[in-house]
Amino acid sequence: MLALIYFIILAVVAVGCSLCIFFTKHPLYASIAMVTTMLSLAGIYGLLGSPFVGVVQIMVYAGAVMTLLMFIILVLNGSRDTRTKRFDKVSIFVLLSVLAVAALTSIVLCHASFDFNPDTVRGGVDVTAHTLFDVSASGNGYYLLVLAVGLVLLSAMATAVILARKRIASDPENAKLEEVH
Amino acid sequence: MQAIYVQVLALILMSLGIATALCRRNVFFVLMGVELALNAVNLSIIGFSKTFAEVASVTGQIIPLFTIAVAAAEACVGLAIIILIFRNQDSADVDNYSNMRG
Repeated sequence: MLALIYFIILAVVAVGCSLCIFFTKHPLYASIAMVTTMLSLAGIYGLLGSPFVGVVQIMVYAGAVMTLLMFIILVLNGSRDTRTKRFDKVSIFVLLSVLAVAALTSIVLCHASFDFNPDTVRGGVDVTAHTLFDVSASGNGYYLLVLAVGLVLLSAMATAVILARKRIASDPENAKLEEVH
Repeated sequence: MQAIYVQVLALILMSLGIATALCRRNVFFVLMGVELALNAVNLSIIGFSKTFAEVASVTGQIIPLFTIAVAAAEACVGLAIIILIFRNQDSADVDNYSNMRG
């Protein structure tokens, strides 16, 4: 019963902040609402019995990704662009189609029968780490995926650094221009 | 508390995320809508993983970790591209980004 009350509070916060993202005009306020949504989702993960995913959600999403987004909104001063309309005529059709898909999915959900399994495993740090870094030959091999994700993150970082530079410095003409700036 | 409540919440968040990404014209809102939809998928996976026992439930709690990592990479590259385009076009409107000329 208590879990249900906590869930309802967190769900109301999450949905309210997502509505705020949808309707608000200023990108900075929307990013703050997004951080609140992610924090409440992390609370729901903990409530469901996956505290490790909740902590990763707080660290990576609310801590890193949204801070980066906020920082870029501040650096680019994107809010000064007041000519951009919030919605246009296409938005009505998009909203209708999204509502239709949501209605279809909810019909399927209502007809499916599933419930929480009492034998489910609580995803704490020890269980998750044992499963992720099981390097034995008969293991599940998730550690290879961890390596692949590391490569993806590394290449994303290199791409971001190369993209965000003003000009490629190895080009001699551009190198001169860069010195001037 | 029943398992379907989590799925309904995930469905609402997913719909709001897709609606934000497709309706709004500001590029920052498009990115945030995509992030919201990814979060809803994570929530749905964890909600379903709790309906399984033993090994399957642990698997369901590990997949969101990879989703989060890929979403972080996506946000990193996406924001770098936004910085580049914003310098050229000086606008946050995605309609202005329809031509790919640098």
